[in-house]
Amino acid sequence: MKAMIKIENVSYEYRTQADSYLHDRAVDRVSAEIMQGEFVVILGRNGSGKSTLARLLNALLIPIEGTIYVDGMDTKDGELTWHIRKKVGLVFQNPDNQIVSTTVEEDVAFGPENLGLQPEIIRERVDASLRLVDMEDYSQHSPHMLSGGQKQRIAIAGILAMEPKCIVLDEATSMLDPQGRKDVMEVLYKLNKEKGITIVLITHHMNEAIYADRAIVMQDGRIILEGTPRSIFQRIETIRNAGLDVPKVTDLADRLKKRGFNIPGLPITRNELVTALKNIIGRNKDITPAIGKNYQPRFYRSGLALARDIIKVQDLSYVYMPGTTYERKALKNINLSVKEGEIFGIIGHTGSGKSTLVQHFNGILKPASGYIEVDGQAATGKNLKELRKKVGLIFQYPEQQLFEETVYKDITFGLQKMNLSEDEIKERVFRVIDLLGISPELLEKSPFELSGGQKRRVAIAGVLIMEPRVLVLDEPTAGLDPSGSREVFNILTELNRKEGTTIVLISHSMDDVAEYCHRVAVMNDGELVMCDTVENVFLQSDRISSIGLDIPQITEVFNCLAQETGGPALPVLTVDHAVEILEQFFDGTGGVRQ
Amino acid sequence: MINNITLGQYIPGNSVLHRLDPRTKIIWTAALMVVIFMVETWPEYVMMGAFTLILVLISGVPVKQALKGIKPLLFILILTALLNIFFVDGTVIFRIGPVKATYEGLVSAFKLFLRLVMLVITASLMTFTTTPMSMTDGIEKLLKPFVKIGVPSHEIAMMMSIALRFIPTLMEEAQRIMKAQSSRGADFDTGNIFQRIKSFIPVLIPLFVSAFKRADELAEAMESRCYRGGQGRTRLKTIHFTRIDLNATLAGIIFILFMFGYRFISSMI
Repeated sequence: MKAMIKIENVSYEYRTQADSYLHDRAVDRVSAEIMQGEFVVILGRNGSGKSTLARLLNALLIPIEGTIYVDGMDTKDGELTWHIRKKVGLVFQNPDNQIVSTTVEEDVAFGPENLGLQPEIIRERVDASLRLVDMEDYSQHSPHMLSGGQKQRIAIAGILAMEPKCIVLDEATSMLDPQGRKDVMEVLYKLNKEKGITIVLITHHMNEAIYADRAIVMQDGRIILEGTPRSIFQRIETIRNAGLDVPKVTDLADRLKKRGFNIPGLPITRNELVTALKNIIGRNKDITPAIGKNYQPRFYRSGLALARDIIKVQDLSYVYMPGTTYERKALKNINLSVKEGEIFGIIGHTGSGKSTLVQHFNGILKPASGYIEVDGQAATGKNLKELRKKVGLIFQYPEQQLFEETVYKDITFGLQKMNLSEDEIKERVFRVIDLLGISPELLEKSPFELSGGQKRRVAIAGVLIMEPRVLVLDEPTAGLDPSGSREVFNILTELNRKEGTTIVLISHSMDDVAEYCHRVAVMNDGELVMCDTVENVFLQSDRISSIGLDIPQITEVFNCLAQETGGPALPVLTVDHAVEILEQFFDGTGGVRQ
Repeated sequence: MINNITLGQYIPGNSVLHRLDPRTKIIWTAALMVVIFMVETWPEYVMMGAFTLILVLISGVPVKQALKGIKPLLFILILTALLNIFFVDGTVIFRIGPVKATYEGLVSAFKLFLRLVMLVITASLMTFTTTPMSMTDGIEKLLKPFVKIGVPSHEIAMMMSIALRFIPTLMEEAQRIMKAQSSRGADFDTGNIFQRIKSFIPVLIPLFVSAFKRADELAEAMESRCYRGGQGRTRLKTIHFTRIDLNATLAGIIFILFMFGYRFISSMI
């Protein structure tokens, strides 16, 4: 097989304004080869150098040391730049910022137009590319009306129309919801298998790595692991140290093996783990008894059922742009209540009304009809300031709202009109940065100098400083790498446990919801489909799947086991619980773990 | 509320006006505007009005929609009409104190009103029947001859189309930032004018930061797709003059000749 891309001992450093070199090398003596027709994933946490590497591959950046050959062409050679970019297409992270034109087909045509092709050929290529990404029905649409996943598929079509040999995707799935991500991944597999296009997928979603031919793990600008995804997932410790994570099933298998369970190899998919577990459990054995007679969902265990309602929503409806052609019922007769002190999850597709719902909790939106009560007071009343002090709302990508000269000023922005003494403000600032793990040296820096993860924490601090009783978060971990999301969730659970803050959280990650929430509301098309303890909701896997949402991986494993024996589905949500149950089962039945 | 501002107000259709080359439409819109200002006598007003109406009917744009363009200008229209009624000298119809309304004023106010309405309709017909993209294409081609004297025709057109592409995106973003900042206690609705302007700083700064970031990323994306300016660039949809353009141009010239020919002849008699 021929090498599509050859990376030879390549380094890159970003220059500061003073034109001196920074100390950290973004890419540090990297060597790798990517074969023609290969599907390679490059994994690494935010700031590991993987995006820099992507830009080196199509000559957007030129290495300061070493050489990159694309199909035999040196990227340093300015004469070849356009040939290289024709061969290697780059899809970027933010779907909005790579679409040039006001209609889909004109955008897809942008590349071929730049190549100076004849209109008839451009037309052919545009139509063919749109068909390949399954977007031919949208050719006349305006891109800003499309979903994130659709926009990324348009971006891919735009690259395809240039007939490249290789497509590099720089975290192109990180801003998408699960459905959009799935659609994009399907397109990529199809292009790889059917058209033989080399795919280099840069990501920190480990589940996307499973089906790749090869995985490369980067940390601090260097390649630390390389091999098949299966071989890489064996190195759980190294992967975690690099700020990444392994799939939940792999985690579970690893923990079981360490406890003496006889699991051959290390499963990386659900089916592999289910097969392995079936073998040791034996035929027709019901593991249900292992759950224990006194088992109760988390919500009841923590006594939250008796807590008072801090948010009450009655018959809430909301209409977007009433009276115009764009009129749309965003919420239809929602009834729910959030208990004081609970972590309340909200799941559903993009556009199902989740964000619209929570924007009613602090009076940003006013209901078309219905009633909302927060802490015993109507949320529709005039006293919005009091309400917003009680309910802190953190939007998606909150770091985008930072604006002050210093971190300190930004964090205290909300306190300005509260007539607090300077000392009191300081005290609050230090309490909140301590909780969020923001180092005090950062306080006098500009928020724009910080890293992505730090920025997000500063933005969260700006809301927490109001000391809200309820904290509402719209996808707080969107765009963060696995270790970044874990940090955010640790902060949230600590806030919930120590300060008793009620947390309402919108999430697309079922694994996170399963791990941290007490109860969960399922939204679909503006309606509340379910609202129950997280265990009960995920037990109804058919209903969840029927609206196109996922089930937590661990729950899926136990569903498969239950199906085998004909026993009832088990409410097992987390790796910890799964280990506990399986141990119980083997100890209780006196069975052997072999 | 922000989302329903459809830029350029293009109304899809397949009428003759839709199929005209954007250059023809731009030039003719300009020409008709000049003609409208030259219209003076009543018969000319009638002819011009009829011509405008025929254009609307040909375009297939609902008359109601075509008249909507006048709405934002209504205040100015009425004001200028009133000024005309009261400040043109002539036969007095009635007086209110020192102010007198004249017959001549009334007539000239009415004519002015008609003139402005026709102007607005003609201009909006162009945007109703031309997509933003082909409009920018047309402008690019029309400016081509001026490249020699340093007019960057391709760059102007590219900037216009990128602006059109990003306006809805930035509007959505502005809305989101406003919501986020008011969740943090920002107040956009109270205080005097200066306080209100100041209260928009927390919206404007993040908006600018993000706009620059978007610009940066867009530039990378465009370069990755081999963009290197207008040199050697072709288009998916090329615009070119067709028989329709020729016929429309002839029809327009005949109409103008007829209208002013009428004036010339009647002045002879």
